[in-house]
Amino acid sequence: MSLTRREFLKSSAAASAAAAIGMSVPADLEAKAQKAQSEWRWDKAACRFCGTGCGIMMATSGEGVDRKIVAVKGDPAAPVNRGLNCIKGYFNAKIMYGADRLKKPLLRVDKDGNFDKHGKFAPVSWKRAFDEMEIHTKKALKHGGPEAVAVFASGQYTVMEGYAAQKMMKGGFRSNAIDPNARHCMASAVVGFYQTFGIDEPSGCYDDIEITDTVIAWGSNMAEMHPILWSRVTDRKLSDPDRVKVVSIQTYTHRTSDLADLEIIFTPNTDTAIWNYIAREIVYNHPESIEWEFIRKHIIFAAGPVNLGYGMRRSDDKSIKEGKYTDLEMETISKEMSKVVSKAEGPALEPFGYKEGDTMVNNGGTLGHWEISFEEYKRSLEPYTLSYTAKLCKGDPDEKLRDFKKKLKYLAQLYIEEGRKVVSFWTMGMNQHTRGTWDNTLAYNVHFLLDKQARPGSGAFSLTGQPSACGTAREVGTFTHRLPADMMVKNPKHREIVENKWKIPNGTLNGVGKQHIMQIHRDIEDGLVKFAWVNVCNPYQDTASATHWIKAAREMDNFIVTSDGYPGISAKVSDLILPSAMMYEKWGAYGNAERRTQHWRQQVIPVGDAMSDTWQWMEYAKRFTVDDLWGAYEPSGPRKTPLADVRKQAKDMGYSGDTTMFDILFNNEDARSYKLDQKDPIQKGYDNSEGYGDARNVIGSDGKVFEGYGFHVHKYLFEEYAAFGRGHGHDLAPFDVYHKVRGLKWPVVNGVETQWRFNSKYDPYAAAQTMKSGNPFAFYGTLAKALQSGTLEGKDKASKKVPLPNKAKIFARPYMDAPELPDKEYDTWLSTGRVLEHWHSGTMTMRVPELYRAVPEALCYMHPQDAKDKDLKQGGLCWIESRRGKVKARVETRGRNRPARGLVFVPWFDEKVFINKVCLDATCPMSKQTDYKKCAVKIYRA
Amino acid sequence: MKVVNKVTLGLATIALVFIGCGDGAKPAKVVKEEKAVASISEESLGLRKTDIYQEDDTISEKTEYRSAQAGTSTKIKRAFQDAPPMIPHDVTDFLPITRENNACVSCHAPDIASAMGATPIPPSHFLDMRPRHTCDGVKFKKTVDNTKNETDIKRLTHLNQARYNCSQCHAPQSQGNPSVENLFEANFTKKGGEFKSSWDEVMLDDLDTVGVDSRITSDDLDNSDSAAGHLDGAKH
Repeated sequence: MSLTRREFLKSSAAASAAAAIGMSVPADLEAKAQKAQSEWRWDKAACRFCGTGCGIMMATSGEGVDRKIVAVKGDPAAPVNRGLNCIKGYFNAKIMYGADRLKKPLLRVDKDGNFDKHGKFAPVSWKRAFDEMEIHTKKALKHGGPEAVAVFASGQYTVMEGYAAQKMMKGGFRSNAIDPNARHCMASAVVGFYQTFGIDEPSGCYDDIEITDTVIAWGSNMAEMHPILWSRVTDRKLSDPDRVKVVSIQTYTHRTSDLADLEIIFTPNTDTAIWNYIAREIVYNHPESIEWEFIRKHIIFAAGPVNLGYGMRRSDDKSIKEGKYTDLEMETISKEMSKVVSKAEGPALEPFGYKEGDTMVNNGGTLGHWEISFEEYKRSLEPYTLSYTAKLCKGDPDEKLRDFKKKLKYLAQLYIEEGRKVVSFWTMGMNQHTRGTWDNTLAYNVHFLLDKQARPGSGAFSLTGQPSACGTAREVGTFTHRLPADMMVKNPKHREIVENKWKIPNGTLNGVGKQHIMQIHRDIEDGLVKFAWVNVCNPYQDTASATHWIKAAREMDNFIVTSDGYPGISAKVSDLILPSAMMYEKWGAYGNAERRTQHWRQQVIPVGDAMSDTWQWMEYAKRFTVDDLWGAYEPSGPRKTPLADVRKQAKDMGYSGDTTMFDILFNNEDARSYKLDQKDPIQKGYDNSEGYGDARNVIGSDGKVFEGYGFHVHKYLFEEYAAFGRGHGHDLAPFDVYHKVRGLKWPVVNGVETQWRFNSKYDPYAAAQTMKSGNPFAFYGTLAKALQSGTLEGKDKASKKVPLPNKAKIFARPYMDAPELPDKEYDTWLSTGRVLEHWHSGTMTMRVPELYRAVPEALCYMHPQDAKDKDLKQGGLCWIESRRGKVKARVETRGRNRPARGLVFVPWFDEKVFINKVCLDATCPMSKQTDYKKCAVKIYRA
Repeated sequence: MKVVNKVTLGLATIALVFIGCGDGAKPAKVVKEEKAVASISEESLGLRKTDIYQEDDTISEKTEYRSAQAGTSTKIKRAFQDAPPMIPHDVTDFLPITRENNACVSCHAPDIASAMGATPIPPSHFLDMRPRHTCDGVKFKKTVDNTKNETDIKRLTHLNQARYNCSQCHAPQSQGNPSVENLFEANFTKKGGEFKSSWDEVMLDDLDTVGVDSRITSDDLDNSDSAAGHLDGAKH
């Protein structure tokens, strides 16, 4: 179905007049037809990598299976990046062409060709692959019900893939054990949004950057991780250097600090204290700066329990009882059950009823909270005097306390200054934090007190890490507890809405969603999960305490499947590897950090027998019938009640016992109405491997040539998913519209995108809520919008629930220590993260020569004095060892990352520096997001 | 196929069984399954060829950036037409780029680059491609219509400050190679494209990606033929 060149030339000739695109350019810049490039087909697409969501123009050349990507350039029409990409963005051109692309399913077998967990891999057919998946899934269902079948999902799924996976898992298997790697990057932001606004995702947009006077980066190396946003910040800063201030608040110096007017280096985990210090400055020392009218109309104050633990394993977990954790590991893990309040956190916890030396018994994470008075909130801030905060937070032992205090004061002044617009940006530093949810809510506190939120140029703005952490993981709801458009599996009404839309019996969906991604690993180690499928992520490289999960996968009785473009660590530890089509080998859509949804078309035919994850899910769904999946299930794992038999209702709906999930969920009447049509200007000339099959004639899951489903699968999945949000504050534009624009920021109402949510001037949903009141804002999210009341110490159990329509919340939340702190033996903080040139675990970027050569290895960045004290040489090898494991890396004392004494930074992209063996799997107990930024290590010469 | 290793050999064999040969010649409807032959070890897969269960023998390739001084190095061929060039010389003394100091610009500015033996910063870097929306603090107004993919490009007399962070796109290169080859093939459409950008001459070409139908229509917005695209009144 490749485009013929004639067709293409005809259309592009007609369109080449500059007027057609409506641009205003100086005459001397006017486009000239490029004869040489007329062989090429240019199309718009989104970048594969970070959450910024840049647009690219991609050129392909060749016919049929020989069509290949030949160039990528910045898209001048894309509002996010206006013609500029970062180094990774340009090299999207090469990411699919590593010589070891997976081309066939690979199964571990014995000498007779039978599956053998300890065997080597053998290439097998798709049919054999799905046969094995079917056998092992059914075995798992028999063993532990739906809870025994799990999916490691992704913030890099296309919207359609995520929706297909979620539909089959939750609607077909009735399993909520699907959770994305986005859990590791965004969960604290999400819970922060839910707690504060009652609805997910930012109020602001990237246009804030050009409007604001102040950019404050909190624990975020935007210069490397969101490079194009940083280029916008740089442009803003340099265009008005006196007025515009840039502040870099970090645990170590890096490129973001290079442009900053002010750098604050703080001790890991103490950012919560800095936020509270700023709030204290406002409330105690500058009460005149509080916008009381805003507060009275739009804000309530709230508190919750503080003894939540750290999201580590608890003493009644099977693997703990079985002694799978060493005494050394237990030194840290034991704090999950109880801990002694330290000298550092004592003052901060006093208003909450704890003091230094007290034993805090941890009850585990809860999202519960209650309303408190402003006076109570004020009391929670009392401890954060400049003196206490500075002493607690100063992160560079070589900096004078007096200088650090000055910086804190200046920081507070910038926020408070009347008329100064301020944007606070953050990503992993505040999210990967054992108090990450708190940290997120503390950011909104400061902006709310000053009425500097949801306004052009002002707001606390959570940036996402992954290209579709927002668009797929969050909006589609591929989290264990979520359904599309902010609906929740535990809400019976929401389940019913979804069941009706999916045309599955009421009562099919499972109401218990507790198997988050860390829990899935733990459930495998505990023997509950017996079948797990890895989609578009690399959980065996990217999860902290990695040795445990690898051991559980390789040594226990279970079946692990990995779908990927390349064989990464997860593929290596799997029992079955499936070759996936990569980004530009399929139609897709991503959603970025400013609520912008962007679509692209299939540019080329996949390599080998690789097929998209959407196709894999649909073929898998063919293997399971109503009778296979929709009977009754006994309680299992986190679900303490049985799941009902819904087969009778299914039959009443016209399904029979042997109707497949494929026919119900994917190949239904609605789906088939989305026609393949080569006259449609969107589809014309473009491959659609799921729709038509393609020139490769891949032998499909039934042993026959796959000739396509005969309808536009991607359009169907997108439109059905979009239905959930339309009219509900998440309005997405129609599929075709997205193919004509460079993305739009939802809610898109009548074709118009929304710049600032909750602000009635810009957000039609806020405008509708404030029609009568005339209020400037409406925080219209609906989650947790009725609260009981209490004090900092606890809830008044007798109090009545009060509804809080259109209100947001300011939370009282204290500083607390991380669960593992440097000590005499493990004397150094380890922080991990990314580098500009590589994406996540490096499976794509380490195969691009230019990116590989830019940063061929993960270095251990450290202070020269630390290196000297530890007898280490620049460029020499060292061991980095924690209570959980050790890895070798080279010492770098002069690089782009420049820690103060006492901290090292090691990025995680390098399979050969497997730093997640060293990291601790502690999480924010509310969001379940892992803290990859803090654990204690010792470093010595290797 | 340029690289033939154990993996690809195994794959090639099986590919013959399943795909047959010749264009368009479809194989028989159902293909008989051959016995799966274990041929690929876990270690042979991926970038890390060592055992993943212990770390004693696992070391990354050492970074060895080129030591040639600026002005004396051999230029590195661009990856493809108008791709950002990589840095062929030592940058130890030039990084970091700070607010006060951008050492790159001092040699690569177009008026002095040739004298310095440096690649001149191309014309594209002297364009402001960002439409400047207006905001008086209260009212925000877009100056271009993004639903029509409008652009607004202005020529600057100085380097576009969005491009101030040179190291965002241009990186020094270590001497080694990835352990697997990359099969991307560059195709330079402009004479000298290996070493020179001419993107500014073509950057507004081909932006109408849906051809004559690139504009949103009322039918598109109406979306009435989308059978699954609505929720039929359910509230949540």
